[in-house]
Parts: sequence; structure tokens; C-alpha cells
Amino acid sequence: MSHQTHSFHMVHPSPWPLAGAMAAMLLTTGLTFWFHYDSSLILLLGLITTLLVMLQWWRDIIRESTYLGHHTPAVQKGLRYGMILFITSEVFFFLGFFWAFYHSSLSPTPELGGQWPPVGITTLDPFEVPLLNTAVLLASGVTVTWAHHSLMEANRTQAIQALTLTVLLGLYFTALQAMEYYEAPFTIADSTYGSTFFVATGFHGLHVIIGSTFLMVCLYRQTKYHFTSNHHFGFEAAAWYWHFVDVVWLFLYISIYWWGS
Amino acid sequence: MRPAPGFPSSLSQSGRGFTCAGQPDAMYYKFSSFTQNLIGGGAAAAYNPQGLKPLVSTKLPAPIFEMPTKVDSESPAAVSYLGRNKVPELQKLFQADGVLVHLKQGVPDQLLYRTTMALTIGGSIYCLIALYMASQPKNQK
Repeated sequence: MSHQTHSFHMVHPSPWPLAGAMAAMLLTTGLTFWFHYDSSLILLLGLITTLLVMLQWWRDIIRESTYLGHHTPAVQKGLRYGMILFITSEVFFFLGFFWAFYHSSLSPTPELGGQWPPVGITTLDPFEVPLLNTAVLLASGVTVTWAHHSLMEANRTQAIQALTLTVLLGLYFTALQAMEYYEAPFTIADSTYGSTFFVATGFHGLHVIIGSTFLMVCLYRQTKYHFTSNHHFGFEAAAWYWHFVDVVWLFLYISIYWWGS
Repeated sequence: MRPAPGFPSSLSQSGRGFTCAGQPDAMYYKFSSFTQNLIGGGAAAAYNPQGLKPLVSTKLPAPIFEMPTKVDSESPAAVSYLGRNKVPELQKLFQADGVLVHLKQGVPDQLLYRTTMALTIGGSIYCLIALYMASQPKNQK
């Protein structure tokens, strides 16, 4: 049996990067065909294949780490850098939408009535459901930290309870936002107010769903004993992502819901 | 600047403070999980650090998958909470046996892999044909 004399992970040849690239092509082409030709077959194929690739790629990473032990401290350090860089790129993604919002709202055009909110827009009361949403996400930040400490202290029951609470709070936020979207007195077509509002909060909501899913996977892995008290980077990555989602919401709330109303 | 080691911190449990000459007494330290550093602490915290599992060997502690029933006499009944630990068995199963990691579990892996590749490759070909047809200017087929 050959042994490597370094602590890095030489990954087995894997079909998932190629399959993932093809799935991305199906997604983008599928969107185009859905927009222009009202045909959703390619889009559906793209969604299914993306899901399959994600499931199998991350399943393999769990096999390589938890079952095969390839995630040495050196490897884990690389993963930490990777997650930080990814979250940073997402910060820039949201920065763009905040730029668009401030561009439109700081100097409202005559077409909007020279004011912000524009003439005719009834904004949502920031001290009703949006404030509840803020409380929900802040509480979920507390519960995820509680889960982390329980994990580090090898307290299994509390870790599972805290993680479950975090996921439930995330789902509660999503449900509340969905209801707000349904009940909103304005649509995405209502001038730049509607565009900036729904695109920014919409992408944020998508990230909440992604973060909740990530945490759900961590919850599942925790029940299956994958995490140890000193090695649980998957959970830490999920927690970092969740805190990022929370901070974005705070900026959204202050800028769009409160200042912009 | 961090305070001198003898300086009692607000989290200290000893409350011993300084001697008359202004020199601090012998100081204990504890690990603060918040700052990830050592901070001042009392003797109680120093001799009973948070998270220490008593009566374990002095070599590198084995990863803790669940509450240790053998050493902790006060272990709660939650040891087999939500199923028992099957990770060691899976670790034996997933050995370095030359099989690539995405096919290690045999038949279910093969099925998933083949389905995925069929859908992606087949879908990509269909997609390229559809794009070719869509780019024909007056093709009425």
C-alpha cells in the first residue's frame, strides 16, 4: 500500500465537476428557452441534474472526510480559506444590489415624483412583520452559537436541540417573508422601488433557504455522529454562512425597510 | 496591552487581588472559549477546567462522537439519543481499496452515477441541438 509523505488530500478522479458544468449549461439554456419559447423541459433537466450533482459531490466529500479521514488540519485550513472567500464574493454580490438601491433612492427622478418612496407606493411598516423577521434571525444567530458551544463540549442532546431550533427559526423567517410577498401592496413592476425591493430581498430570501438547507444537513450529520468535539468544520461553515445571511438582513432592514420608507 | 498575569480579571473566581506590597498572588489561568485565549481565573476553574473529561489518558484525546459512558460516571441517558453511532462501521467500509470514492458503496452509487451522467450528457446534446435549431433564421421545421 503506498503512503503519501505530505498531509494534503489527493482527490480521486471525480465526474462531478464536469457533470456540474453541464448542469449549469442546462440551467442557463433552460432559462433562455423558458423565457423565449415557453418550454421548460431543458430547465427541468437542468434543475434535476444540478440537484443530483450537488447531492453526490457533497456526499463524496463527507465520505472522504468522515469515513476516510482525509481532512487533515492542512486540508481543513484550505477549506476555511475557501469558505471565507466564497462568503466574501457573496458580500460583493449583495453590495451591487445595495448600490442600485441607493443610486435610485438618494436622488429620485422626476418620474418617481422626485421623492422616495416614489409617489403612489405604500411601503410596508418596518415595525410590523419586518421587525419580527429581524428578531427571528437574531434569535437564530444565538441558537446557532449555542449549538456550536454544545458541539465543542460534546453535549449531544443540546447540540441537536439548538440546531433544530435554528433550522425552525430559519423556516419561520421564510414563511413570514413569503406571506409578506403575497400581501405586499406593490409589485416588482412598480418602478425602481419594486425592482430594488424584490430583487434585494428576493436574493436574500434565496440565501436564507440555502443557509437553512445547509443547517438541516448539519443537523442530519450531527444525529449520525459525524461531528466530533474538535472537528466539525462543516457545521462551522454553515454557521458562518448563517451569520452572513443575518448581517445582510440587518443591512436590508435598515436601508430598504426603515430608511427607505 | 494585556494586563499583567497577576491582575485579577472581572471573571476571576478567586477574588484574591493584590498583596499589601502591590504584588499579585500566584495566579491561575483558564481558557476563555469566547476570546480563544487564556484569561485570569481562580483555582477552582484552573483545577476543574470546562470541558475536561476526567480519567482519560494523557495522549492526544480520541475524537468524541458521543458522551463517554466509560469514564464519566454522571453521563446522561442521552448517549444513544436518536440512534447509535455507526460511523466506525462506515469507516471500516470505506477503506482505501482502489475503488473511487464516488462508487465506493457499489450498486446504489453506480445507479445514481449512471442516471446523472445519462441526464447531463443526454441533456447537453439535446440542448445543443435545440440551440442550433433556434439559431436558424427561417427554419420552419
